[in-house]
Amino acid sequence: MGESNEDIDQMFSNLLGEMDLLTQSLGVDTLPPPDPKPPRAEFNYSVGFKDLNESLNALEDQDLDALMADLVADISEAEQRTIQAQKESCQNQHHPASLEVPDFSGAAALGYGASVAAVSVGQYEDDLPPPPADPMLDLPLPPPPPEPLSQEEEAAQAKADKIKLALEKLKEAKVKKLVVRVHMNDNSTKSLMVDERQLARDVLDNLFEKTHCDCNVDWCLYEIYTELQIERIFEDHENVVEVLSDWTRDTENKVLFLEKEEKYAVFKNPQNFYLDNKGKKEGKETNEKMNAKNKESLLEESFCGTSIIVPELEGALYLKEDGKKSWKRRYFLLRASGIYYVPKGKTKTSRDLACFIQFENVNIYYGIQCKMKYKAPTDYCFVLKHPQIQKESQYIKYLCCDDARTLNQWVMGIRIAKYGKTLYDNYQRAMARAGLASRWTNLGTVSAGPPAPPAPPATGLKIGTTQANGQIPQAAHSVSAVLEEAQRHAEATKDKKPALGNHEPGAPRTHQLPKSSLPPPPPLRRSSDFCSSPKTCPRAKGPGGGFPAPPDDSLPPPPPPPPLEDDQLPPPPPDFNDAPPDFVPPPPPSFAGDAGSPLPPPPPPPPAPAPEAAKPPALGVKRPPVPPKRKENPAPPGGGGSGEQDFMSDLMKALQKKRGNIS
Amino acid sequence: MAGMKTATGDYIDSSWELRVFVGEEDPEAESVTLRVTGESHIGGVLLKVVEEIKRKQDWSDHAIWWEQKRQWLLQTHWTLDKYGILADARLFFGPQHRPIILRLPNRRALRLRASFSQPLFQAVAAICRLISIRHPEELSLLRAPEKKEKKKKEKEPEEELYDLTKVVLAGGVAPALFRGMPAHFSDSAHTEACYHMLSRPQPPPDPLLLQRLPRPSSLLDKTQLHNRWLDSSRCLMQQGIKAGDMLWLRFKYYSFFDLDPKTDPVRLTQLYEQARWDLLLEETDCTEEEMMVFAALQYHINKLSQSGEVGEPTGTDRGLDDLDAALNNLEVKLEGSASTDVLDNLTTIPELKDHLRIFRPRKLTLKGYRQHWVVFKETTLSYYKSQDEAPGDPIQQLNLKGCEVVPDVNVSGQKFCIKLLVPSPEGMSEIYLRCQDEKQYAHWMAGCRLASKGRTMADSSYTSEVQAILAFLSLQRTGGGGSGNHPQGPDASAEGLNPYGLVAPRFQRKFKAKQLTPRILEAHQNVAQLSLSEAQLRFIQAWQSLPDFGISYVVVRFKGSRKDEILGIANNRLIRIDLAVGDVVKTWRFNNMRQWNVNWDIRQVAIEFDEHINVAFSCVSASCRIVHEYIGGYIFLSTRERARGEELDEDLFLQLTGGHEAF
Repeated sequence: MGESNEDIDQMFSNLLGEMDLLTQSLGVDTLPPPDPKPPRAEFNYSVGFKDLNESLNALEDQDLDALMADLVADISEAEQRTIQAQKESCQNQHHPASLEVPDFSGAAALGYGASVAAVSVGQYEDDLPPPPADPMLDLPLPPPPPEPLSQEEEAAQAKADKIKLALEKLKEAKVKKLVVRVHMNDNSTKSLMVDERQLARDVLDNLFEKTHCDCNVDWCLYEIYTELQIERIFEDHENVVEVLSDWTRDTENKVLFLEKEEKYAVFKNPQNFYLDNKGKKEGKETNEKMNAKNKESLLEESFCGTSIIVPELEGALYLKEDGKKSWKRRYFLLRASGIYYVPKGKTKTSRDLACFIQFENVNIYYGIQCKMKYKAPTDYCFVLKHPQIQKESQYIKYLCCDDARTLNQWVMGIRIAKYGKTLYDNYQRAMARAGLASRWTNLGTVSAGPPAPPAPPATGLKIGTTQANGQIPQAAHSVSAVLEEAQRHAEATKDKKPALGNHEPGAPRTHQLPKSSLPPPPPLRRSSDFCSSPKTCPRAKGPGGGFPAPPDDSLPPPPPPPPLEDDQLPPPPPDFNDAPPDFVPPPPPSFAGDAGSPLPPPPPPPPAPAPEAAKPPALGVKRPPVPPKRKENPAPPGGGGSGEQDFMSDLMKALQKKRGNIS
Repeated sequence: MAGMKTATGDYIDSSWELRVFVGEEDPEAESVTLRVTGESHIGGVLLKVVEEIKRKQDWSDHAIWWEQKRQWLLQTHWTLDKYGILADARLFFGPQHRPIILRLPNRRALRLRASFSQPLFQAVAAICRLISIRHPEELSLLRAPEKKEKKKKEKEPEEELYDLTKVVLAGGVAPALFRGMPAHFSDSAHTEACYHMLSRPQPPPDPLLLQRLPRPSSLLDKTQLHNRWLDSSRCLMQQGIKAGDMLWLRFKYYSFFDLDPKTDPVRLTQLYEQARWDLLLEETDCTEEEMMVFAALQYHINKLSQSGEVGEPTGTDRGLDDLDAALNNLEVKLEGSASTDVLDNLTTIPELKDHLRIFRPRKLTLKGYRQHWVVFKETTLSYYKSQDEAPGDPIQQLNLKGCEVVPDVNVSGQKFCIKLLVPSPEGMSEIYLRCQDEKQYAHWMAGCRLASKGRTMADSSYTSEVQAILAFLSLQRTGGGGSGNHPQGPDASAEGLNPYGLVAPRFQRKFKAKQLTPRILEAHQNVAQLSLSEAQLRFIQAWQSLPDFGISYVVVRFKGSRKDEILGIANNRLIRIDLAVGDVVKTWRFNNMRQWNVNWDIRQVAIEFDEHINVAFSCVSASCRIVHEYIGGYIFLSTRERARGEELDEDLFLQLTGGHEAF
């Protein structure tokens, strides 16, 4: 499951990529390639574009809509046909995981890929038992398989699910999607399709896949109000579309994808927030180290009790007076119920406090350059405003701290008071995600050492290497299976760091991918994979980046609705599977997106067939495995791939050409 | 046995006479005199005593209490010599379980039999088992405060006394549930009533009573309570408690483990009651805003418990609602009836249309309320000059999603206004709707509230919201009059409920009742949908979030200091507080504690923390036994997470909290 959705998304992004190219080639002179303006609109891809393109875009919008309608129609037809296949394969969804590609020598990479293949087969096998527990085959449930239910319960559950499915379908028709342009660290942008049910976490996972970043917990979506000069971190549980819907149409606000260590600072060093002795100590001293065990118990105490504990925080801050550029110093206190201040001539006992603001209707932002803009005493400002307010207003509250440390304490404290345990849950989820990624890298770097993979798979490894070509699909498969399993594992055990040793698979078993129901990825797609290694041909990132893999897939515990929703969109009919390469899309912005890495050099001419012959296994493993599509055709990947390869390289050349024109 | 005599009547063995009083410690009690030797076993003595009394009775609970040594002779195989009993020992043959009157956290009195011979810890555990409170280790008993000589001999109204002395629990087994209550409560109407008293929240107290009850005016006052705790390692008898005495049962350690509304109705309720009284009597301070939330929750809880909605309402789950709707829908479809109606019902969203007076405060306008035709559909409010213009463009249209809804009501003044703070990109716009009567107000208000949360009037909670508002208005009608003794409305449950009974006395002084009611009403809107146990849990959580929550204060004098200071003991830390100012001087966390020692002679507690921090203080307001027990108790409670699911480790508890017997 999830694939259907993914397919649509993918096709969309492909379409969009195409459009991007078109528009760019048309608007050659008027547009600097990385358009800084963030687009946002329903199916309106071009908010940020200049007038010149407006009409064109409008046209295309309509086209797009029409196309969408067609797609949906076809899909619902196909649904009937494919439902059977889906039943069996629904559990085998895949996680195209994106990771920083480790630098391997070719040989090492080869071995590595194979070993992963072998290991992960064992993993996958190990993973198999859970899916059968999922009794309602026609109603695929979210990956964490439900506990075994009694017969009646099952029946009831099945019925309930059916109904929910029906309801979801009704709703599906109205699902709102936005194309969001996300700005990367390097000033490039990526466009993503975000549907209204997706949370920031989903979008992040999506971006992880596209950017091959290290997936650590500091990555966040970041909202910048250019006009108000405020910015903030999206909380992982926030609904992205909802937040963006508050922006005005002509807004200059941006969404960024970047690392912010402030995001979960409290969970990394809780002592800085909970044990800070009100600034009596010097900065250095308070930053004292705390051992992991104490940190954990402090967190447990603060976040796992019947109610969470908000850090005790109080002190003098400057408050900007409404509508003026003057600042008043007041003594503020943070409580779970809001921010309070001590009125003149009163003490700071609870009974004398006056409420300054409660958090229900406001978000917290960092103020940027308030010193310049509002004559703030320092630049360490935070801002509280209703999310819907977009312009200067007396309802926006500006507070100014003496130093950065205090600022961070207040912002974090307010977030804790506002979001409570959700924040901790978000963190744990992010950790699970990051742990997964690091495990993946570990698996890679470890191939020589005495690592987790138990001995028997090693023999499988050899087989794998010798049969390199034949094994590729499996490798790709099982890699994703590993990830999936790990994710599940991480989720199930709530393990904060799914360590390597954590996943002792049972006895290693033979390859038993349910081939009947889930054939290896189609040659066609594979071929596009091969050239999509970031190193060999940047263009190929398109397909990779163009797949907005449905977040549901990569998320351990999918929120109930999305998985259901996925079901009803079955994998597109075969004809569609051929489509993607046609649209191969790569909007130039997207290929610059490798997080942190400088812009890749101009793409070398696509070495079309070479990669396939030389390093297929490595590539297959190195880049995020493409979600294997359920295809009826388990043809030998080699043949099919090379057949497609020419086509692909042609396309690539064409695209290169285009890009060359632009730049 | 003992008592060999010669013919002259002289005893020739080493036997001597032992006098044993029968009954509880009463000098007038009948006594029996036995002939014993030093080798007589206690068991034999008991047997003889029973023979001597010549009364048929169940003596199984009886044992001998040695008055001078303040000790029970419970080891029946011990000899008199081993105990060291001589002829001058005053021994009482009495029952080990005696009735006491417990003052429960909800301030009701309950008569039951408690063990006078076991350590208090066990006795409390038995009591808790009887009244079905889990985790008895969190509770303990306090001596009732000495009653001051009453100045005026006013007769206190006879208090209803619940009696559980006749109830006997089968040992060892967890009481089974019968008719929704532990089986031993379902024996008679009386015990059933008793269970209801235990498991349901009490109505708010009489505000006048509230004002009369003693409240702490300073930190020093708050230390008073804590010198009354009984020693948990000694039995009641040893602590001078007599049969029929009044003792307070309270949660002593503020660390509530595994609070579960489903399994803990009594525990949850009693904890709620303790929290409520804690706040009403200003033991824990809170701010005005927080008090309003507490008041609203109390009101809500009271309403639910009065209306008998004790069970979890089934309709709260929105997902279920959807399901129900869908099921109905399906059924109808199957029956083949006009499905269009159903669809209509499902898709049409109820709307409100009426003439309302609207006021928009603007700068430089003095215009008052103006009559408009207002249409409220989905979450949008539109108003027109007149009904005729309704099909055209409205004067203004406001989307209430995310807005703040503030009631502005004065029932006696027949003012029913809704103040809306509607966010827009430019800021908040203020608008007042004035309704004609309560009914209209309730409907519009409910609609606005739902809309502010993004829901429409089609939401299942709409009608209950309307009802809640009406009920609250009737509360104001009665309570707002001042004395509140003029019941007018038909809704009996809200009658006579005075908002003053919901807030601490200092707010009674600060606000008039009619000022208070709207504020409680405002806070109530956020909690109106909670079920009884959810509301209780919310109350407890909010209580736990208060900065001053769960701190037990003791006056101590630190070593090397010349003035008394306050030691605050919380579940995770010790706090040194300046007695005069109330400022926190220093905090030590239990996590960093290495060991603590008590010098019983000089009543000094010495604690060593990590990094060789040593603290020593002597206890002034309470015995150092109480401080010691608090610290040990919290340490014990923190071990529970690890030993989850295991039997209570009583020995460990006594080890951590006792120990002074050795001295």
